[in-house]
Amino acid sequence: MNPSLLLFAGSLAAVLIFLVWLLRDPRNTATRAKDPLAAEELERRHVTYFPQVLRALAAEDIAYLASRCAGDLSSSVRKERRKIVLAYLAFLRNDFLKLWQMANVIAKMSQKVGAAQEIERFRLILVFYARYELIRFKFQFGFTPVPELGSLSDFVGSLALRLDIAMKELSERAALTSSQA
Amino acid sequence: MSSLGLPLQVLVLWGCSSLVQLVVLVLLFKEGSFRKLSLFTAYTALNICQAGFLLFIYKHYGFGPRTTEMAWFSQTITLVAQGFAATEILRVVLRPYQGIWGLAWRLLIFTATVVIILEAKITYPSWSWAKWFDLNVSYNWTFAIAMLACLLLIRYYSIPVPKAYKIILIGFCFCSCADLVINEGFLPIFYLPGNENLWQSATLLSFIVVLLLWAVALWKPLPAENPRLSLPSNDAYQRLSPEINDRLRLLNEKLQRLWKREARSN
Repeated sequence: MNPSLLLFAGSLAAVLIFLVWLLRDPRNTATRAKDPLAAEELERRHVTYFPQVLRALAAEDIAYLASRCAGDLSSSVRKERRKIVLAYLAFLRNDFLKLWQMANVIAKMSQKVGAAQEIERFRLILVFYARYELIRFKFQFGFTPVPELGSLSDFVGSLALRLDIAMKELSERAALTSSQA
Repeated sequence: MSSLGLPLQVLVLWGCSSLVQLVVLVLLFKEGSFRKLSLFTAYTALNICQAGFLLFIYKHYGFGPRTTEMAWFSQTITLVAQGFAATEILRVVLRPYQGIWGLAWRLLIFTATVVIILEAKITYPSWSWAKWFDLNVSYNWTFAIAMLACLLLIRYYSIPVPKAYKIILIGFCFCSCADLVINEGFLPIFYLPGNENLWQSATLLSFIVVLLLWAVALWKPLPAENPRLSLPSNDAYQRLSPEINDRLRLLNEKLQRLWKREARSN
């Protein structure tokens, strides 16, 4: 068969696959996120163990290990610490996404959506992802002092809690309205 | 060659396309879907009328500049109907989400305007010579980009789309994208000696694929419409959305500080 025609058929197939992917069921992708037990479990781990994570990441520990033990142990501890920070960053990303999804749910349910607000949120998620990936990349090749991460965690945690309350309030109001109707 | 002056292969494909169009139209009426999708039904009916019209003019007047112009003119009418039909599907899908629908039609108008301006700029020196073919390609660019923008919006907000509407939307978008691939990407190949009928065959084949997809989508009655989802008032969005954005912005700033500190520490 003519290679040009094969390329042509391939291009059309690629277009079709892209379109099917674009409109695939959002429920399939969101199944894990919607699982309340899994989400609760993640959140509980994140909140409950963070002080221990912080303590384990203290710079003094590394200095102590370096002064008392062989170099191998110190470097393996460093590697473990790096893994912990990376896992923690992943949790932060989940929190950010959760927040963003909540904002999208509110927009979906609203009678009027402000284009400026939506564009701004779209920009924010792009910026967040760019920074997140850069930081993750940096952590994989180096080491960073972690107190900043602690304040970041508190910030995201309190925000998620406030939004949960707001969403609960909204759903109660919606239920009240529909029952009155 | 057939009596119409068209190669047999093209004529067979044309016949198949008209047949599947008829099937789609029958399905629309049989399942009562025409009530929900009146513009889509009109578009399908117009396509069948166009096929009949082309058959008539080619049979009576043969091929020539005048019949070609008439054929392209009929194409313009169906393309306009296509735009309305696609918008109707989007409206049905997004009707339960009033705010998002408001955003979608603004996006449709914005992207369509931008693409039209860009297309006009590209063809600027030869506006007066712009032929039907160029207008058709420009229309397909506008339609495909506007549709893709709306599909991305649907994806961005994770809006569930019933399977039948999903297939119809994919069909519309594929139709325009395939036309663009044929006319913008592979046109020189179709002009090579021995490939003369290929352009028509490829165009017809891609359209038949779309029609078959639509027939599958309309085989069963269309799903019942979702109830309108909305908050009791618009205050919630006005109050919460800027707050969430502020928080997301702050989170980004904190990440930025973390990034800068990390950069300094290295």
